[in-house]
Amino acid sequence: MPTPFRNFFRSLLAALVFGSFAAAQSGQNTLTLAYGEEPDPLDPQRTSTAVTGLVMRYAGDTILTKDLTGAYADGLAESWAASEDGLTWTFRLKPDVTFHDGTPLDASAVRDSILRALDPATQSPIAGSLFAPVTDIEVVDARTFRIQLESSFAPFLDNLTDPRGAIVQAAAAVELGADFGRKPVMSGPWRVEAWESGERIVLVRNDDYAWGPSYTRTGAPRIERIVFRIVPEAATRAAAFEAGEAQVVMPFPVNDVPRFLDDARFEMVSFLRKGIARLMEMNVLVAPFDDVRVRRAMNHAIDASVMVDVVLEGRGVQAYGVLPPSIWGYWEGIEDYAPSYDPDAALALLAEAGWTPDASGTLRKDGAPLTFTLLSPPFDDATRSAQIVQQQLAGIGVDMKIETIEFGTLLELAQEGTHQANLIGYTYANPDIVHLWFHSSNIGTGLAHSHFDSPELDALIERSRVETDEAVRLEAYADIQRFVADQALWVPFYINDNYIATSASLEGEQVHPDGFLLLNDASLD
Amino acid sequence: MIPFLLRRLVAAIPVLFGVSLLAFSMTHLTPGDPVKIMLGERATAEDVARLRLELGLDRPLPVQYLSFVSRALRGDLGTSLRSGQPVAREIGDRIGATATLTLAAMGIAILVGVLLGTLAAIQRSSAVDALIMMIALVGISMPTFWSGLLLILLFSLTLGWFPITDGGWSGLVLPAVTLGLPAAAVLARLTRSALQEVLNQDFVRTAHSKGVAATAVVARHALRNALIPVVTIIGLQFGNLMAGSVIVESVFARAGIGRFAVNAIMARDLPQVQGIVLFAGVIYVVINALVDVVYAAIDPRISVR
Repeated sequence: MPTPFRNFFRSLLAALVFGSFAAAQSGQNTLTLAYGEEPDPLDPQRTSTAVTGLVMRYAGDTILTKDLTGAYADGLAESWAASEDGLTWTFRLKPDVTFHDGTPLDASAVRDSILRALDPATQSPIAGSLFAPVTDIEVVDARTFRIQLESSFAPFLDNLTDPRGAIVQAAAAVELGADFGRKPVMSGPWRVEAWESGERIVLVRNDDYAWGPSYTRTGAPRIERIVFRIVPEAATRAAAFEAGEAQVVMPFPVNDVPRFLDDARFEMVSFLRKGIARLMEMNVLVAPFDDVRVRRAMNHAIDASVMVDVVLEGRGVQAYGVLPPSIWGYWEGIEDYAPSYDPDAALALLAEAGWTPDASGTLRKDGAPLTFTLLSPPFDDATRSAQIVQQQLAGIGVDMKIETIEFGTLLELAQEGTHQANLIGYTYANPDIVHLWFHSSNIGTGLAHSHFDSPELDALIERSRVETDEAVRLEAYADIQRFVADQALWVPFYINDNYIATSASLEGEQVHPDGFLLLNDASLD
Repeated sequence: MIPFLLRRLVAAIPVLFGVSLLAFSMTHLTPGDPVKIMLGERATAEDVARLRLELGLDRPLPVQYLSFVSRALRGDLGTSLRSGQPVAREIGDRIGATATLTLAAMGIAILVGVLLGTLAAIQRSSAVDALIMMIALVGISMPTFWSGLLLILLFSLTLGWFPITDGGWSGLVLPAVTLGLPAAAVLARLTRSALQEVLNQDFVRTAHSKGVAATAVVARHALRNALIPVVTIIGLQFGNLMAGSVIVESVFARAGIGRFAVNAIMARDLPQVQGIVLFAGVIYVVINALVDVVYAAIDPRISVR
């Protein structure tokens, strides 16, 4: 019988028999986590999805981690140090770490894993770029290795905490080929036991585990099994949670949040998105935004707090600058520094720029009305935000037109730079995102849709990357946030809350600032 | 019977040819360079060139088509771009869930549809008839993503009778009912009108006057004649059920072909999409051939022709 047909009958049988078997097998000490997405390979070096990254939080270990305050902390490495010039990093591994197959995870294993991520044949969508600044890895002794960078690059430490940078057993990857993506060999507190396509991924406790990060339980975890149940439909995810079929749901559908807030059986954890959810970019190459006074006037004329109430229904906060409070590097002073909602100030600035109201209140300069087109992606929150902006601007006599277009096309037009303004948003792990948004090398290719070419801003951004002293870097990021506010390249709108729902039977879980539950010390009632 | 079957199979060949051509040409009909679409915006020129070579897109179209068909005939549907797994194996892994769901839904549709339709036909113009036809109207009109959630709300959350996302037999009930309901409604309406027509015919009146019991008249004589259009529709409904599984599998988080297809399209995994289209097309053709065979079994006149 040809393979597909044999598989057909086998899986037909499995669907009939195994379903009930799997249900019976779960039970005590199994945590079921309902997740919306289907993973691509579970190989951290070949994935681009968030769900694989999440699985790696439990099945894998990274060289460094971030503790619950977001500061860098131990991972596989117990200590690390940079050379004076920031080009050489020396790491010391924890003792007696092993992969799930029992082989030692030593300095040469780390080197092999990083080399695999960098190998073009791996075709790594994310891990490859995480390690891209690496030029050489030197194994000093079994527990010590040195990484050479091509240039001083401060965000590099952050890359080492990304779950897609988790260390894999490179020899097993070669041996297993494509099947490595079904059952990766790593070193985390749980290991991947089974992956039933499209249905569930089962992780089983790694009883040998003894090298957990210092801010949580370092030994083998209490929970025996973690089952990732893939439930694409948000309403079903909420229902399965309510019926007790899942103890953790993430992301939890925002619409269902109020229903569970006062329910003692459940707990809702929320954390601020790591990024600005919605903002307006203005293109400085094109009128009327070639005048900084007009751009600042937009900041004064738009009241983003209305969007927090209406679009987010209060589940989030207003954004003031290019970074959210949830990303390290955020400068608290931006709240007072950024131009605040003040329509009179807006009108004054516009008058200074030559735009004065006619008899009907429409702003005009040399007879022409003040009008522009805002490109908006076809997402519900973007549409609603755009309508609020339109209304608020109409209030001071600005005629804004909304053009809703497919997101890929929007990016293309914004890169070209013939548009006037666009809505966009982002999520990112660290403040280096400012490079992508504002560095002149990203004009036309990256996200520098404001097309603001400034050697001064470039220098600030480069400084934030090269400095290794954290206090100096914080200063550099504060400078960048002030600079962008001065130039009013954006009108930042809001940052939404994300939700994870947990059953009250789950205890001891820790909410990590990177948006996942740390379960090493968790247990089920 | 055998020659009929053979003729039916030969007639399916041009259809299968069309299906394979359609699945194949999807690569070339989609706007834009398929390789660039698959690789995304950050792909380098080298990546594009390599994948083009890997997929054989550098060869002339007829050669590509022939190799596509010959590989498909050997059960090789190519390799997924996302997972690196053979597409045939990925389809094989998921077909069980879809087959179980579709068959169970069909079972429910036939049982409920024919039963209610018969009841409505016998009790013509009564309150029962009106009620059944009203239920059928609701069944046809209600979209499955909505009825599925309503069933979850009632039977899982309120009554606690069935699980929502657990596998096994009890987990099959709600999705099968959700998927089978619209088909049951169509069959009920059809059975009712077909049976009413037959019940008015002379041979039924004769049977009645000969003193044959009323139930026997309906069950043995009338229903058999009324079922021929019903069987046709059952065959057509199979296609609808397979299409409907896309939604039902998403609502009930079942790992079947429908959801696989949606994910493949979202991820622009062309080998997967091609494989699924080809596979679904072949299944559809086979089922239609089977329906014709059942036809012949019910109505002897067909096989004589």
